[in-house]
Amino acid sequence: MASRVLAQCVRSYTQRSARIIFGNITTRAAAVSVANQRHFCFNAGSQRKALTAQIKVSSPLVQLCRQYGDLPPLTVDTIRERVLYVLKLYDKINPEKLTGASHFMKDLGLDSLDQVEIIMAMEDEFGFEIPDAEAEKLMTPQEIVQYIANKKDVYE
Amino acid sequence: MASSAAAAAARLSGAATGRVVKPIFSRDLDEAKRRVRELYRAWYREVPNAVSVFQLDITVKQGRDKVREQFQKNRLVMDPRVIDMLVIKGKMELEETINVWKQRTHVLRYFHETETPTPRDFLSKFYTGHDP
Repeated sequence: MASRVLAQCVRSYTQRSARIIFGNITTRAAAVSVANQRHFCFNAGSQRKALTAQIKVSSPLVQLCRQYGDLPPLTVDTIRERVLYVLKLYDKINPEKLTGASHFMKDLGLDSLDQVEIIMAMEDEFGFEIPDAEAEKLMTPQEIVQYIANKKDVYE
Repeated sequence: MASSAAAAAARLSGAATGRVVKPIFSRDLDEAKRRVRELYRAWYREVPNAVSVFQLDITVKQGRDKVREQFQKNRLVMDPRVIDMLVIKGKMELEETINVWKQRTHVLRYFHETETPTPRDFLSKFYTGHDP
């Protein structure tokens, strides 16, 4: 009895959410409407049974009403592009001499403090902390790409 | 037990350098350099905030260059204890800057005063006056 009532409520919710998708109302409003619907379910049981045949067709929409927000997935190529872009923006690096394997200290003539600044720029770009013990070993852009790919589990 | 083992190791390494001293924080140069890098990171991140809080007339780039200059002043120091002491002093300055215990004048003491150019031609010298 209770399960039948709940099943009717779910079907009425999907019917309402099919309209909500086009209206862009938040799920809290939908939950409020479900709470209001619930006491109607007891009264209109027989009427609902006629509607359930139509509503069952629209039940695949249950999966569509969940939407989550996330960043686009990282690939090794996008990581490398972003790393090289940030390095080209850095004013102490000559963009023509920059390649994937150019060593910061030996090829590009940077300081250890410059390398710290570069690692901080990478932290700001990718949004996660790089501890200093591991950061002092990253001396080429390729190593940085490798490290970020390892940390973010990108096609190891 | 661990401290006596460390003391024995320090004595052995100290025999090569000629002197054994009790470390302040870091036991060797690498650890001291790591502390320096952490301090540099903290200062680097603090500069834009300090420029806005104290309403300084410098750009963020100038502030960061000044931080770099202060760090480069001590770049030839090799003794880990001295480096630790300098890091401690830098941390104290950073704490005072972050918590706004300083004031604008204290922060600007790192910078040289803006020099007004001395007059070169006759008319500028006339306008500024001269003490004979």
